[in-house]
Amino acid sequence: MPSTQTPPLAGAAIDPPSLRPSINDAIVERIEPSALRARLTALKAEGYTMLLDLGAVDYPERTPRFDVVYHLLNVFKPGRVRLLCGVDGSQPTLPSVMDLWKSADWAEREVFDLFGIVFEGHPDLRRIQLPYNWEGHPLRKDYPTRGAAKERSPRPAFANKMNVQAGTPPSGRTLEALQEQIKRAREADGK
Amino acid sequence: MSMSTQPLTPEIVSQEGNAMVLSMGPQHPSTHGVLQIMLEIEGESVVKAEPEIGYLHTGIEKTAESLFWSQAQTVIERMDYLAPSSNALCYALAVEKLLGITDRIPERAQNVRVLLMELTRIASHCVWLGTHGIDLGAISVFFYCFDLRENVLDMQEATGGARMHPNYVRVGGLNGDLPAGYLDKLDAFIEKFPGRMRDLRGLLQANPIFQDRTIDVGILSVEEAIQWGVTGPSLRGSGVAYDVRKAFPYIGYDTYEFDVPTRTEGDAYARFLVRLDEMEQSHRIIKQARERLKKPGTVLLDDPKIVAPPKETIALSMEALIHHFKIVSEGFRVPPGDVYQSVEGPRGELGYYIVSNGENRPYRVRTRPPSMYNLQALKGIAPGNFIADLVVMIGSLDPVFGEVDR
Repeated sequence: MPSTQTPPLAGAAIDPPSLRPSINDAIVERIEPSALRARLTALKAEGYTMLLDLGAVDYPERTPRFDVVYHLLNVFKPGRVRLLCGVDGSQPTLPSVMDLWKSADWAEREVFDLFGIVFEGHPDLRRIQLPYNWEGHPLRKDYPTRGAAKERSPRPAFANKMNVQAGTPPSGRTLEALQEQIKRAREADGK
Repeated sequence: MSMSTQPLTPEIVSQEGNAMVLSMGPQHPSTHGVLQIMLEIEGESVVKAEPEIGYLHTGIEKTAESLFWSQAQTVIERMDYLAPSSNALCYALAVEKLLGITDRIPERAQNVRVLLMELTRIASHCVWLGTHGIDLGAISVFFYCFDLRENVLDMQEATGGARMHPNYVRVGGLNGDLPAGYLDKLDAFIEKFPGRMRDLRGLLQANPIFQDRTIDVGILSVEEAIQWGVTGPSLRGSGVAYDVRKAFPYIGYDTYEFDVPTRTEGDAYARFLVRLDEMEQSHRIIKQARERLKKPGTVLLDDPKIVAPPKETIALSMEALIHHFKIVSEGFRVPPGDVYQSVEGPRGELGYYIVSNGENRPYRVRTRPPSMYNLQALKGIAPGNFIADLVVMIGSLDPVFGEVDR
């Protein structure tokens, strides 16, 4: 029977790409957050012009805790590159790549929504899959798959929601500022 | 387009300029599911369109983490509900890669998989074409499309018992050989298809109203398409001949003869033509796969550590009984590692990035949802067009919300 608990990690930290590189038809690289943007820019110039996907994996017992995975594709001369970037767990932040690829927009929002990783420089970083007032980041391993039943409150009213958008938030918004904004919208909604 | 009949209260009128804010969806019939678009409009023109997704979020990726590798496939198949086999196959291929059994999958299983992939592509395009037609007022196309789709669904039902989600593709091959009578149905379908395509083309391709509504609407340039991560027919409609089946062949696609149709216009009409051509290419592949299926063979890997032995052997062999019990009660284990595998789904490059930590459950299953990236491009192509054209654009990008929201 499927357990209601997230399965425990098997012992020591795992670092997938180094384990079995033979099964990948892509070039796999691990990169530091500080070098990320420079490497992505260089790869884009090399012809990997499409950001195919951007996702994350959580390893709660490892340092750094998160892996953000960038999949790049060359559509004209088929080739793939996969970049894995470790992100620290205490204050997970990474530079946004939205200025390089528009496709990073929703992908970064989704990683923010489900993992709580903040992409600095994203112009509109808010939840995308879950309701605006959701608490927690479900794809983290410490987020339970089942919990106490909780009443789900509605999304902020239409006007409030649009105000959130119309305010053209400054770039580099922090998670706290965002939460504050959502809280204000919720309070206004309650009136 | 239906406008709200409620009086415009200050709450829903933006304070900037003449622009008005209008919420389209999520219950709007032409948004193909539960898509909400926040529109800033000036008169009938769209100034800004911001799609709001997530109304169909079911946490499939999270759910998959607490299921066995084989159980996870059942929920993953439900992501793109119009093309279930492509999800199931892509996941199975990724797991097979992690297990290192890709080369050991029986040939017949691979041939049937090709057949399923192309049938599911036709079935999915049938829904797209039917609903796209309805959006533009061409009602009868829908009936022709769904009649054709019925034939595919009948075949799906024969393979797995369920019409929408047969769960027929498994890690290691297929859940049993094709049932009796399947190939007769397939032959009838192959026979019927060209005539039905002529009907569909006849109804729409030269239809002046349809052309008026789609030509030069929603133009997506090559650069824009690549910037937005658009793949599949929508990318090929802009002139890039990128097809995963050709670029990174899987299940033996490199041994089949087919073309990758492209157009250079990049408008909704080009995407329409590309998809129609693609259906005909699928028919071509299906005919080749049908020929190969004349050769009998096994369809499931013979490895009791991964695939449960046949039910009949359980009463005869202690070994088989133990293996069966093990597979059912605790699944199989997958060596640690990560893998990215993609297939050419009906909507574009569908990929799975899977991480295993050596346990009997996936550690992480990340989907590369083609619909989500394609739909995102709407933000780029909508501004400056009429609201009515927005419906055409959504239709021509062909999003499926089970996959966008997951």
